[in-house]
Amino acid sequence: MKENTARPYLVTLAILLAAMLLSVAVGSVVIPLKDIFAVFWQGITGSLGEQIPPEAAIIFKLRLPRTILLALTGAALASSGAAYQGLFRNPLADPYVIGVASGAGLGAVIAMSIRWPYEWASTFIIPVIAFAAGLVTVLLVVVLARVNRTSSSTSLVLAGVAISSFTTAVSSFVMLKSTGELRRSMVWLLGGSTLSGWQPVLGMLPYAVLGIGALLTMGYTLNVMQFGDEQAAQMGLRVGRRRLIVIVAASLTTAAAVSFSGVIGFVGLITPHIVRLLAGGNYRRILPLSTLAGAAFLLLADILARVVIAPQEVPVGIITALTGAPFFIWVLRRSRPEEV
Amino acid sequence: MTMKKTIIFALLITVLLLTACKPVTPQTYTDFLQREVTLTQPAQRIVSLAPSNTELLFAVGAGEQVVGREDFSDYPAEALDVPSVGGSMGDYNLEAIVALQPDLVLLTELHSPELVHSLEGLGLTVFYLGNPVVLEDLYTNIETVGKLTGHENEAAALVADLTSRVSKVDELVAGTTNRPVIFYELDATDPAKPWTAGPGTFVDQLVSRAGGVNLGSSLDGAWVQISQEELILRDPDMIFLGDAAYGTTPEQVAARAGWENLQAVTKGQISSFDDDLVSRPGPRLVDGLIEFARLLHPEIADQLP
Repeated sequence: MKENTARPYLVTLAILLAAMLLSVAVGSVVIPLKDIFAVFWQGITGSLGEQIPPEAAIIFKLRLPRTILLALTGAALASSGAAYQGLFRNPLADPYVIGVASGAGLGAVIAMSIRWPYEWASTFIIPVIAFAAGLVTVLLVVVLARVNRTSSSTSLVLAGVAISSFTTAVSSFVMLKSTGELRRSMVWLLGGSTLSGWQPVLGMLPYAVLGIGALLTMGYTLNVMQFGDEQAAQMGLRVGRRRLIVIVAASLTTAAAVSFSGVIGFVGLITPHIVRLLAGGNYRRILPLSTLAGAAFLLLADILARVVIAPQEVPVGIITALTGAPFFIWVLRRSRPEEV
Repeated sequence: MTMKKTIIFALLITVLLLTACKPVTPQTYTDFLQREVTLTQPAQRIVSLAPSNTELLFAVGAGEQVVGREDFSDYPAEALDVPSVGGSMGDYNLEAIVALQPDLVLLTELHSPELVHSLEGLGLTVFYLGNPVVLEDLYTNIETVGKLTGHENEAAALVADLTSRVSKVDELVAGTTNRPVIFYELDATDPAKPWTAGPGTFVDQLVSRAGGVNLGSSLDGAWVQISQEELILRDPDMIFLGDAAYGTTPEQVAARAGWENLQAVTKGQISSFDDDLVSRPGPRLVDGLIEFARLLHPEIADQLP
């Protein structure tokens, strides 16, 4: 670790900025780059006027909020994935490991199967129910994992797997019984927002900032935890309490991401692995780098999702899994036996 | 004389003013979500986000005004010339919808209220058309679409035509006595528990109106899976293959284990059925009714409209 410490950050940041630019520039409707800059200029100087042209509506009301929402989502998933991998000392851990996604999924599927009165359905009802259900599920997992007044890493993972299978089964049952359209639930479960525009960005922002912010301060804690619970306790770490803080912060960010963007797989799993391969095993670096890289990865996957069968779009979760799964297998195969 | 002239002149002016004013008077309509939708003139650039909407629009003669459709809108054939804004894979392409600059986006009950909000947020005018519950609701929808698009007369003519065809069917069916039990197959990828249409669906309503009994009407739910054992026990007189479009043939049905002794199989009473007629709540529901009557009662087939 003698190399220039700033370089990985600069490289990741550059990739992220490029991905954001590309994300605003690419879409099913072709808008020349100079028109995009012109629209931005008009937007900044406030000379767009009352009747905004469709190009400006596409950029300001669709592409820009989508870019920011996906960047936040990718950052949230990758940072909580890194935190969980460190916390459980398990390379297979992802942001959904203790049940946030399956719980939120159940909430969303139930919310979507109900025909809400129009006034109520004002945009936030599905994300709010998904968010609440995700957090309740995590709480349940933490409570169920308690053996002898503390919950060990292993019992947390096991309880998480059990509860996830259970809630996923209930979701499937609700979807089969619902008379409404299944496509919406499917889209959501493959990573797709039910909303567009700025509202989901504003809805997610506070949780993302709080949660990611809290996770970024956990680098030292996670480094110490790599020695195991007992060792960490001997080194003066209040393991149980620290573990709870990581779980709360990671669950909040993940639940917010899932609620507004659907269940997007593999970003939280593989981004920390790439970062670890390139920048070493120090969680003080892994956490911030994963945050940036996760945002960039999800944006690039989404750009691919938009162009691969344009003018149609593929749910972004399919792209992240299609590109992520082979990579993950490669990581698994090259890792040393004692790590797995 | 001058008095008379003045009156005529005044009348003329009034008529002229009225006719001149009519197109610019904004009209307000209330949609299924109880939203007030105001159109300054009949919609000229329409994006239809459901196959049933597309069929309604073309049926009232507003096909020329449709500038965008979703992937599944494949009827009438001219609809395929209209660019699609997605829908078969994931969500609709909102960018493409905005780029079409529609003055009306026509949704149905399939759509979520969030979609209404999203489209409104993009500055688009959205009308949310409720699905008909009974056949007569279809006429209201046709009239609504006629008003929105400025084709009231065509819509009224269409309703008159459909009403007369339906009453002709009612009349003919009243003269029949037998009530065959039918099994309507939606999907039998797993033949041990095929999907069928439950009570209240248009399949169910139209089958009984056409003088038959839908086996699925005793089940619970709209689109449901029935156990094969129950099906064999109930032994329907006829099987209609709503999944014929997916390649299911009467021969395949006869070859299924346990199905070979069904009356419908031994008597060769298995028919393909165009599911689009009855799954899309559009004007072709009446065609579906007539098709059911033809299959259920071959004795009246040549008199059907």
